[in-house]
Amino acid sequence: MAKYILKYGRDDRVKFISHLDFVRCFHRAVRRSPLNFEFSQGFNPHPVMTIAQPLPVAVTSECEYMKVGLVTELGESEIVDELNRAMPPGFVFYAARQVFAKEIDLTKINMAEYIVEIECPAPADVSVIMAEKELVVPKKTKSGIKDSDIRPHIFEAEDLGYADGIQTLRLIISCGSSYNLKPETVVTAMEKYCDGFTYTFTAAHRRRMLIDFMDVI
Amino acid sequence: MITLKDKILSGVMKPTRYTGGEMNAVLKNPNEVELRFGFCFPDVYEIAMSHLGLKIIYHTLNTRTDTWCERVFAPWEDMEQEMRKHNMKLFALESGDAVDTFDILGFTLQYELSYSNIVNMLDLAGIPILAADRSEEHPIIYGGGPCAYNPEPIADIFDFFMLGEGEDQVHETMDILKEWKRDGKRSKRELLERLAGVGGIYVPSFYDVEYNDDGTVKSITPNNPHAPAIITKRVMKDFDATYAPDTIIVPFGEVIHDRVMLEVMRGCLRGCRFCQAGYIYRPLRERKPDTLLGLADSLLSCSGYDEISLSSLSTSDFSGLPELTDGLLKITEEKKIGLSLPSLRIDNFSLELMEKVQKVRKTGITFAPEAGTQRMRDVINKNITEEDIVKSAGLLFKGGWTNVKLYFMIGLPSETDEDVKGIPELAGRVLDVYFAIPKEERAKNINITISASSFVPKPFTAFQWVPMNSREELMRKQRLIKENVPSKRIRYTYHDNKTSYLEGVFARGDRRLCKAIIKAVERGCKFDAWGEFFDFDKWIEAIEDCGLDPDFYAARERSYDEVLPWDHIDIGVTKRFFINESERSKQAQTTQHCRLHCSGCGAAKFGAGVCFEERGGNG
Repeated sequence: MAKYILKYGRDDRVKFISHLDFVRCFHRAVRRSPLNFEFSQGFNPHPVMTIAQPLPVAVTSECEYMKVGLVTELGESEIVDELNRAMPPGFVFYAARQVFAKEIDLTKINMAEYIVEIECPAPADVSVIMAEKELVVPKKTKSGIKDSDIRPHIFEAEDLGYADGIQTLRLIISCGSSYNLKPETVVTAMEKYCDGFTYTFTAAHRRRMLIDFMDVI
Repeated sequence: MITLKDKILSGVMKPTRYTGGEMNAVLKNPNEVELRFGFCFPDVYEIAMSHLGLKIIYHTLNTRTDTWCERVFAPWEDMEQEMRKHNMKLFALESGDAVDTFDILGFTLQYELSYSNIVNMLDLAGIPILAADRSEEHPIIYGGGPCAYNPEPIADIFDFFMLGEGEDQVHETMDILKEWKRDGKRSKRELLERLAGVGGIYVPSFYDVEYNDDGTVKSITPNNPHAPAIITKRVMKDFDATYAPDTIIVPFGEVIHDRVMLEVMRGCLRGCRFCQAGYIYRPLRERKPDTLLGLADSLLSCSGYDEISLSSLSTSDFSGLPELTDGLLKITEEKKIGLSLPSLRIDNFSLELMEKVQKVRKTGITFAPEAGTQRMRDVINKNITEEDIVKSAGLLFKGGWTNVKLYFMIGLPSETDEDVKGIPELAGRVLDVYFAIPKEERAKNINITISASSFVPKPFTAFQWVPMNSREELMRKQRLIKENVPSKRIRYTYHDNKTSYLEGVFARGDRRLCKAIIKAVERGCKFDAWGEFFDFDKWIEAIEDCGLDPDFYAARERSYDEVLPWDHIDIGVTKRFFINESERSKQAQTTQHCRLHCSGCGAAKFGAGVCFEERGGNG
């Protein structure tokens, strides 16, 4: 039995696929591939996989991670090539790294870097929100929508410019099981705290997933 | 980059209904093909993607280098609203291109209740609804599938219909279309005249329909020298060699039939008198087990599906079943794949088979006695006896099944209250079978469900002349069942029969109904097969506002000498045979199935299949 961490991403073509649909899609890709994946026992056997973080619908990414098991050890590039052959266009696998014991713990992921495009009549001054001590906005939680101070969960916010009605930001914000902040929630805070700023639509791309500012692999 | 489509898709349910890009979807360069074809299914993605005909036509057309066949489905209400708000036209899933520039759009006509969606889709595409209003610059619009055998209610919308099996026909059509396009698309009439020469192609505008004073059809006459007086459906003679796709699109979201489907045979030999499918697909033709195993292997490996299902009207009648299932079980066990076996008669063979199949959950098995009394079953020629049912039920309960659904129809011709009461009585007998089995030998918690749907008389059946029961009568019969359910262990679920009534109107409708369909859509009717959209009153109003009486179509008894709106269409099975079957049904006389005895239905003229097998029994 060999364990691997896979790094993968998706582009615009497949960004509307939900987390569960992605899982099913991956299961089928494994069945299409010659890879000797470890299968679960029981009624509906499926390849064993643990996804680091669900990717929200409509978000693209170049930094997703999952942990999988293969019955026999295999070359890292072979795994990557076979999965790229087996997945539908729009998904790409970048790397496979064999791991032993718990040297990489995907549950420790606590931040992510996003490129956020914001459709707005005029750009916001991002330094305003970074200067605030508190950014209290409604945030969806398991028990409904509650006010939450998201300021401690924004680590970096950089304005990448404004063109054709679109302001582009780079954000490093909390991501993971203990606190997960969506890029759009930051934009709602900008609307509340930056004077006169309004927006009509946002799109996000996840560029890195981090454990304390360090890339996972 | 933020696009309009992104914004729209972010706000609708199940956006992958509209994005395409699935595994094995076919992408081509539009500049490298001569013909753009849109396969249109007038319902939502999950229904459309479960349809076997789509898979066949899509992939066979895409084997052509001159053609790109794409999928075009009805957007759900939320998406339609967004599209209309932003002036986005109906688009094809593969390219995302608007379909109004395509060369040809082929609609599959699976059920009458999808007619409103056809009109709505054309409207959303910005294409004139009526064929007469479309010129050479518009896509050619055609229809095929079971409802094309009486397409009269939608005849004015379509340029032509393809009757019968399309595997060859669709290619002949594309060849003619390509030539016509190369010749500079001189006139649509010229194209249609050339198409009318293809076997099974029906160009409705080439026929005049005259009516009698009482509203019945007087005559259907060709008005164009190229149009045959009778259009005979197409049949693939060598079904084993008939094109079957070895690839399958794998949807991202869950669809209704989310598995590999193997079409083991086409047609049915049983001859149930109510069943249109049983007649229109005659004669029964089979694929060889070897062919099917090869297909199964390539379909499973290209899709990654973990389930495979056999598709046919009556799988137990497939002569290669033992050989096929042996081969399939080898594949399914090795690859951890589930095998599902619908349309099986319950006998020792099928039970053993189900035991072997990995993913059988011992819940939920459906029996279809169709009628509650032997007399009624003889009337409809459902050649199954109460003894068969009792025996099968015993086998099931001993095998550990406890969830049994019994499927019936009400409103059958000559049905009496005794026949209706026979339904709950039969369910009671099945329950008795369970209790007669010692406790140790049966599983706990028996659950029997009676489901009774309303019988809708269909063209090209032995019952094409009979009146449909009124809605009140059907409701009375539903109550009669309810009152006679003998035990709390038997559940009876029934639903409103308004949709059945409308289906009854259109199934045997004529050309005059077309205005009513267009009017109903203008007033907002769509997705009529979906309870949340179906608006019965609106439909009836639209029909009546066109000066038509819906009962004329649904509830009227026809005489054998009446000209039926579909009399110019030939499915092989003759009217004489149907009259004979209708008369036998009145005497509650059964007719043997094709392998026991040839009843001379007429389908032998296609020179194929069961008609030319050695008969296993005697007359």
